[in-house]
Amino acid sequence: MKKLFITKDNLIELVIRLKKDCDEFIAPKKEHLDDIIFGDTKNSNDELLDYEGNSVISPRAFLLPQSEPLFEIKSSKKCVFVPVEDKKSRIFYGVRPCDIKALILMQKFFTDDFIDLPYQQKLERSTFIALACGKRCLAKSFCHLMAAGPVAKEGFDLQIIPVSRGFLVESGSKKGKQIVKRNKTLFSLARPQDEKEVRDRLCSFAEKSEKLDFIALSRTMAQDKVKEEIWDDIGQRCVVCSGCITLCPTCSCFSIVDRLSNDKGLRFRYCDGCPYAGFTRMAGESTPFPQHKDHIRRFFEHKLNIDVERYGTPSCVGCGRCIQTCPGNISIRKFVEQVANSL
Amino acid sequence: MKNEYLPIPAVIENIIEESPDAKTFILKPKDNTILRYNPGQFLMLSLPGYGEAPFTFASCPSKNGLFEISVRNVGTLTSSLHRLKVKDIIGVRGPYGNTFPLDKLKNKDIFFVAGGCGIAPLRPLIQYVLKNKKAHKRVEIIYGCRAPKDIFYKRELELWKKDSIVHLTVDEPDEKWGGTCGVVCVLFPKIKLNPKNSLVFLCGPGVMIKFAIKDILKLGFKENNIYASLERYMKCGLGKCGHCYVKGKYVCLDGPNFSYTQMKELGIES
Repeated sequence: MKKLFITKDNLIELVIRLKKDCDEFIAPKKEHLDDIIFGDTKNSNDELLDYEGNSVISPRAFLLPQSEPLFEIKSSKKCVFVPVEDKKSRIFYGVRPCDIKALILMQKFFTDDFIDLPYQQKLERSTFIALACGKRCLAKSFCHLMAAGPVAKEGFDLQIIPVSRGFLVESGSKKGKQIVKRNKTLFSLARPQDEKEVRDRLCSFAEKSEKLDFIALSRTMAQDKVKEEIWDDIGQRCVVCSGCITLCPTCSCFSIVDRLSNDKGLRFRYCDGCPYAGFTRMAGESTPFPQHKDHIRRFFEHKLNIDVERYGTPSCVGCGRCIQTCPGNISIRKFVEQVANSL
Repeated sequence: MKNEYLPIPAVIENIIEESPDAKTFILKPKDNTILRYNPGQFLMLSLPGYGEAPFTFASCPSKNGLFEISVRNVGTLTSSLHRLKVKDIIGVRGPYGNTFPLDKLKNKDIFFVAGGCGIAPLRPLIQYVLKNKKAHKRVEIIYGCRAPKDIFYKRELELWKKDSIVHLTVDEPDEKWGGTCGVVCVLFPKIKLNPKNSLVFLCGPGVMIKFAIKDILKLGFKENNIYASLERYMKCGLGKCGHCYVKGKYVCLDGPNFSYTQMKELGIES
């Protein structure tokens, strides 16, 4: 499809119109420490149309929140349970391509085998507007190695690509096409030099690095060929701060807990993760994985081996958030490069 | 679309004391739903305020919708469950997980090895096998417990003995105990099954499974004919929460019943 063009002023107008069609407009904004975070800007209007870098936490937090009710317990004694539903419609604006790829994987995961209704319902009421990256965000990010950036290939309804004279716009779904159709006076056709600008940027972004052979990497991990010293080192560095699993856009593990007051309450799920020793602990205190290094190893295996086998692509999208936050300086990028070089 | 996390209420129709720390609960969905499950599958049991835990069905499916689970009092949820009385209500959802390979059973000798409350997940299959006893030349059951008072299903053992050979062993015998003492493996020399044409089903504590399989292999049983019902911590039963994950498999979806061949691929011994 031919790409469209929108000026900055028209993009501002588009955002004003889109806000009228949703309950929450989830967009990047600046926090007091100059951090970028996603939040509802429908009424505050403090969204950033374009920004440098990426948000501290990915927009996953709106689809799989830190905690959310699964259903209401009307009577605990009689076991009367009533579904609850998050009925808010949300437009996500300015989602980075790495996080878009993460959302594709999360959708596959939550609708595989059994459909996870709380996730599915939120997804159905969501529109995703991606914002392609102008330059590398963190020195530690490596989306280009993980086939996740700087421009999204799929998984968005609309994608906005900044160019020098404004923004290119690409629709990736029926929802996206409808937005364009309803607001067609705001768009014009892109010029060849806009597209050339994007192509040139892709070339400079990828630097000279080769694309990672993640199939070979996955196989090496499946065959247990990663040196035990590497796992020992990672195990020693991990202080179980849970930063990585909190920030990772594809971490999906959770636990379930009931909050009751007298006979009534809610059953919640809350984010949980493999680094915790208690994550696999069973009744009677026995655990199948007593060693700490095996807990954090699972994080790596899930992202770089299992999901490659399952979905054909790694679920590490190279956003670099886990590396940025790790107090033990564990780097999944260095791991990837080390293992890839040892092949 | 169905919210898979939502349990249905079930009534406790009867409670049987199995041992000083274990009870069997006979349950029936309040709305008369019949849970269509097969031997080896499990359900998620809800006790609002205490959460949910997986329990394997401990009885064959019945036409009247009644089903049983046997529960040892080992944690917060199970101790609260033990305090409940007949006609109290709990939540259930399921069935989940895979079933034992029922299609492989025909014309095979069947060998059951159970430790402690590990007899519960095997019980539906034992009942199933003994009901179709003509399809099997020989059925042997080895069941080991800590002490004679810990033996489950005493009321049913005599019935099982009619159509199979039941060997019992305990670690801590009392004065009345005249049988074998020690771990389940001490009974292996007594079995008279044909290792080349047998299926083995194990369930019990991790250490039991680990060492029993080693000895069973020495007797000449084939790796892909040995099945174990495994226990893992799980919160959802749907392959989402991540707790029971082992090397890309979810014990709740791909298990809980694995052949030894699969267990080796997953790098687990129990």
